[in-house]
Amino acid sequence: MTDASLFMRFSGVLLDTWRKGLDRFATHSAPKPPEETDPELLYVRARGLARAGDYDTASRLFVRAGELAPTMAEALEAQGEILDIEGKPEQAMSKYEAVRKLRSQIRDSAPDRPFVLRQRRRFTAEIAAYTSVLHSIRRHTLPHIARGNAYLAEGRPKEALNDYNDILRWKPNHPDVMALKGEALAMLGEHDKALQAFDVAVAGRSKNPDILSGRAISRLAVGRLDQADADWRRQLELLPAEHASARGCVALRLADYEKALPEWERALEKEPHDPYWQLYRLTALHRLDRSAGPIQIDTIDVWPQPLLALHAAKLTADEVLACADTPERRAEALFQIGVLALPSDPAEARKRFNEVVEKAPPSMIEYAAARHELARLGS
Amino acid sequence: MFSVIIYGRNDSHGYNLHKRAAISFNAIAEVMSDPDDEILFVDYNTPDDHPTFPEAIQDTLTEKAKKVLRIFRVRPEQHVHLKARTHLVALEAQSRNVALRRSNPRNRWILYTNTDMLLVPRDEKQSLSDILGEIPDGFYQVPRFELPEMLWEAAFDRKDAVGNIAKLRDWSRRFHLNQVVHNFMPMRYDALGDFQAALREDMFAIHGFDEEMLLGWHCDSNLAARLALYRGSVDTLVDKVFGYHCDHTRVAAANNKGRQTKMNDQDRFIWDVSTPYLPDQAENWGWPEMEIEEIRLDRDTAFERFSAGISAALEPAAEPYRTTNLEWHLYNDLTYDLPHTLPFVCDQVLTYPRNSALMFVGTRPDFLSRFAVAWRAMGFTGPILVPRECEGLPLDTPGVEAGPFNDLLRRTDMFIFEFGVATQGINEPVRTGRILEAIDEKRLKGVERLFRQAAAREEETRPAHRRLSRRFIGVNVIYNRFWPLFTDYISANINPFCGQVLAGNPRIDPTMKGKVLRLRGRYAI
Repeated sequence: MTDASLFMRFSGVLLDTWRKGLDRFATHSAPKPPEETDPELLYVRARGLARAGDYDTASRLFVRAGELAPTMAEALEAQGEILDIEGKPEQAMSKYEAVRKLRSQIRDSAPDRPFVLRQRRRFTAEIAAYTSVLHSIRRHTLPHIARGNAYLAEGRPKEALNDYNDILRWKPNHPDVMALKGEALAMLGEHDKALQAFDVAVAGRSKNPDILSGRAISRLAVGRLDQADADWRRQLELLPAEHASARGCVALRLADYEKALPEWERALEKEPHDPYWQLYRLTALHRLDRSAGPIQIDTIDVWPQPLLALHAAKLTADEVLACADTPERRAEALFQIGVLALPSDPAEARKRFNEVVEKAPPSMIEYAAARHELARLGS
Repeated sequence: MFSVIIYGRNDSHGYNLHKRAAISFNAIAEVMSDPDDEILFVDYNTPDDHPTFPEAIQDTLTEKAKKVLRIFRVRPEQHVHLKARTHLVALEAQSRNVALRRSNPRNRWILYTNTDMLLVPRDEKQSLSDILGEIPDGFYQVPRFELPEMLWEAAFDRKDAVGNIAKLRDWSRRFHLNQVVHNFMPMRYDALGDFQAALREDMFAIHGFDEEMLLGWHCDSNLAARLALYRGSVDTLVDKVFGYHCDHTRVAAANNKGRQTKMNDQDRFIWDVSTPYLPDQAENWGWPEMEIEEIRLDRDTAFERFSAGISAALEPAAEPYRTTNLEWHLYNDLTYDLPHTLPFVCDQVLTYPRNSALMFVGTRPDFLSRFAVAWRAMGFTGPILVPRECEGLPLDTPGVEAGPFNDLLRRTDMFIFEFGVATQGINEPVRTGRILEAIDEKRLKGVERLFRQAAAREEETRPAHRRLSRRFIGVNVIYNRFWPLFTDYISANINPFCGQVLAGNPRIDPTMKGKVLRLRGRYAI
């Protein structure tokens, strides 16, 4: 090998390292699909064009991004802004309305989980905006956390982890960041590493119920049921009384139906039409062998109404399972089938709970509740 | 549907504050349509002897604004524990949290803005309540549009909220007012603090504003950072409502010293925020245990209380006017017209907390009996404390508590020292050259002695709950021999003779004369 080729290879390595170093603050670019088929890249490009005043091209790209990703509310909103600037307020407002409709249709996830995981939607605009902030403000916590959280909420824990690790490089063991890192690792299924992060976070933020929730889930995932229960019980102590739905979720994870029932009743006073709170109230009533009274079912087309119909004996277990069109819904259905089978057919219940534990992610309420039911059944 | 939270104090924050604020209060009230809507104004640290800011401008507010306005008065005594940590006299985070804690729990939204904003729904048929009622949960901002000072000052009629909003719709295009200024996330727009709408539930969950922010500025950005983390995004209502700010930079406000302006640390409170929560203030943000007075402008107003007090204590005058005289040869005549003087005394106490304990030391029994009637009728619930050392006073008057002077000193929140003629009747002519009787001199000597002691020992005899000095009201202390005595000890303004009343707090005089005075006062016999 000649000196020149050695120099070229060395320069290449340096250049690559330098690029990666820069990229840590930008997009963490893994190989990307071509821009014209990637709604996120289209959105980012269109956003830049719009800020530069090229509204025509920007608008076209936003429309294309929206076509590729119909749930990308930010593309609609950006179209609305351009239409408004161009003096077409009626058309603009219809776009903004469409955004709000999209967002109002998305149900938040379990209220006992950390704030970052309660939001479930695309965060393309936020990722783009905080990436832009990171070009100017690098060694500060907020933009990394905000972008990391956006990745995490989108279900992209690897990218989130990169952002959290960036902060931890200059703020080692920062408890808030360690808690988020724990969640990202848990989402990757690396529960042992997650537990290490959660332990550091709990040491620094001992009264934060969100962190205990994450640690409990990871403890459960690695088979430490008693330790998980201790975290959930402490979480219950810390959650204020007015957070009834969150308290109900924790009690249900513990399969502590005596504790859960009054929480669901309080939650329903505040949100009387919430189908999950209705379902979980029925679950608690059934497990406590108390009458639920007549169950109102308006439709079985919208999940989780089939589960309410199951409690009302208007659908069979097989019919409900046929309606469950995602793994999470299937886990919810299996758990409810198990609950209903429990008094008369414990073996069937055990089978259903086992299926939940085998298939569902440990972060699901039904997973934890099924683990507790199985423990009581002596499995 | 929503609680608007704003704050301020009765001072001169920037140019023509009174007009800006009246325009803003009225305009905000105008876009409210839900019966639960409210404007919560925290009047922070206005001196006790002043009315709150909205009371001071109440005549310029519309009936609708008065109806929706709830004023929370944070007294100087409630602020004093923070005084050493800030150069500011009004604290944003504390104010906004006091209001949030006490906001209507039926309201879904909290809207943070300021007393110089007009909010204009883009659809004329919609109120802000309608708008907030329709939108999904989230954290919303709108861009702020600036309004040149001349426009709001010269063309707005304070009480014509509908007209002002209509003018803005016209001017926005005619004068090219609408410029959206984008900002770094999480501050979606510049000057974001003039419109941040958050769920009340979210604000409680994140423990309100950060009360460590004591130096002014960036409280809004800190909130944006924390709510952006909590909600995941910052949404806009630019399609629904425009916000106009009455520019007031002609004269810099107290917290604006150009490049020398002291500010909260941006890095700490914005760029290094790592969590929405504030665990260190989780239990005590907004001072939940502290009793904060609430004042309304649509009921039980200061005038109604004053009027009730005077009407209960005095009959209306039977003659067009009465006379007195301040010529020098009458310097030693200590008679004064009680019915004329009592309203000025009531005026001195009206703005104090209703549960105040007031010490009365004086000579005229008719003053005490009538003042006690007025005190109750003005809504005061605290006692009137009268030292047993004061002879000749009707101690059995309802509301009066008698006791040893030294004991009562430690319970007193403010003082009235009255230097009159014990033997004077209420209908006697005044300042006609009356000679004092021996009993009058004896009683006056007693009042003088207690006054010297009270003023000299004020600091060491304060009740446990007080850190600020107490107010002394002197009755009949102008242009007579008690004028120098009173003003030697009390830092009072020069007041017109006609009122017969001076008031102020004990003087802090570090000179030899001051020290001698305090020594004399302490051992006054």
